[in-house]
Amino acid sequence: MPVSVDEKCLRLTGDDGTSGTLLGMRCTECGIVVFGPATFCQSCSSPALEEIELATGGVLYSYTIVRVPPPGWPGPVPYVLGEVELPEGPHVLAEVIECTHDALQVGMPMTLALQPVSMPDVPGSERVVYKWRPAM
Amino acid sequence: MTQFRPGRDVYVVGVGLHAFGRFPDQSLSDLARDAVVDALQDSGIPWTAIPVAYFGHVYYQGMSVGETTLAQLGLTGVPIINVENACSSGSTAFWQAYWGVTSGVFDVALAFGAEKVPGGPVTVTAEDSPARYIGGDHMMAGYALRMKRYMEETGATAAALAQVTVKARQNAAMNPYAHRKDTYSVEDVLNSRLIADPLTLYQCCPTSEGGAAAVLCAGDTLDAYGVDRSRAIRIAAAALTSGNYNGRGSDHSAFSPYRTEPAALQAYEMAGIGPEDVDLVQVHDAATIGELQQIEALHLFPYGEAWRATAEGRTALTGDVPVNTDGGLLAMGHPFGATGIRMVHETVTQLRGEAGPRQVENPRVGVAQCSGAGDVTTVHILTR
Ligand SMILES: [Zn+2]
Repeated sequence: MPVSVDEKCLRLTGDDGTSGTLLGMRCTECGIVVFGPATFCQSCSSPALEEIELATGGVLYSYTIVRVPPPGWPGPVPYVLGEVELPEGPHVLAEVIECTHDALQVGMPMTLALQPVSMPDVPGSERVVYKWRPAM
Repeated sequence: MTQFRPGRDVYVVGVGLHAFGRFPDQSLSDLARDAVVDALQDSGIPWTAIPVAYFGHVYYQGMSVGETTLAQLGLTGVPIINVENACSSGSTAFWQAYWGVTSGVFDVALAFGAEKVPGGPVTVTAEDSPARYIGGDHMMAGYALRMKRYMEETGATAAALAQVTVKARQNAAMNPYAHRKDTYSVEDVLNSRLIADPLTLYQCCPTSEGGAAAVLCAGDTLDAYGVDRSRAIRIAAAALTSGNYNGRGSDHSAFSPYRTEPAALQAYEMAGIGPEDVDLVQVHDAATIGELQQIEALHLFPYGEAWRATAEGRTALTGDVPVNTDGGLLAMGHPFGATGIRMVHETVTQLRGEAGPRQVENPRVGVAQCSGAGDVTTVHILTR
């Protein structure tokens, strides 16, 4: 069975590792939403949070082409890192795939894409990772 | 919103530095010790009279490095506190020293910091973090995202951003402690290799090694400690903040600089001054974009205008708001534990009128601002 890179941020919905949803927490007191887990609201500190499924797309708030990767980066070099603003408010950083560098534009619509990633030479390290690709 | 009750006036009465750069033959303790000895000599207060010390550093080099460093000066039994607060570790040690003295607990305190940062990209999460799969934990990529967005929103030119480095190198060329002293043109900066578009190598601060120290003394005990009042520089404000909720959750590299604003407002309130009173500034220019956004967050320039002010020379030594007068992180490098106190060193040196060829004309108010992971921000205001 495929394993999510972070079960509190990405819930896999099928058993082939190609479908899933980003998770957030919404405060039932003040309404703000954060990406990923939370125990108390970041804005009002209320404990009354509910888990929600976040939108499967958003707009590209900013991007960069990373030429010198961080230590342990298992992907291609260079790679595109995109910061996507979701309609609920949170920004989510992830690799942008299936997009030529020339086509990147701040404000372009993006959609969630899932891909398996393994750490080189580490058995059992495969995880399903959330990424962004241009929306059709 | 004031939640601070400063007590006694506190002065910086001694500052010291170990040069910044690469020192393969010197340990972390060596760098820290040299800075401390320098600061103690500058203050005229002997180590045996220091009742407390705070040591900023980040990378693990064994436990209690603060204690083993100061043991070289003599085992005096005083409390020594090791401080880790990311890139603001040094400035946090200074902040603690200030509050220790203003509160009346101590008459004197030592703040010092040192670091030997390994080469290569800096990350903030643990090695087994999911971030390693996602690729977003990369300090300079975070700055690049901010830079791209800033350029889109404000029309800032690549040349204006490069000018931040050009200025930093010009200032550093007059600073014997700087890691990088060779000067560059705008073209040199833009033609250096890309690290994360649009950030080029010369727009990123070098990882570095170095040490810095400061001795603080209560105003009402300056005479008792034999301090030269003409060289004592008052700490008018000491603010330290963590992340304030900004409407967009916690994972927003592009928004981070504006988390400096709450610390800046606290500091201005505490000092009873406004940004219009500031004569020189040291800010966290880990990348060129950092300097522009921090001086905007300090309200020294309106949002989106720092790039133009920089291009016009207003942040140069001869400008109306000189920024990073010693070369900043871009030329000094960034040994995390030392950086914040290095900024205090430069501010004190300038306010004393002892900065030699890079002396700003007759400054009275200096600001030192440091940022770190966890949205740690420090803002200190020093006055003559
Ligand atoms: Zn809430």
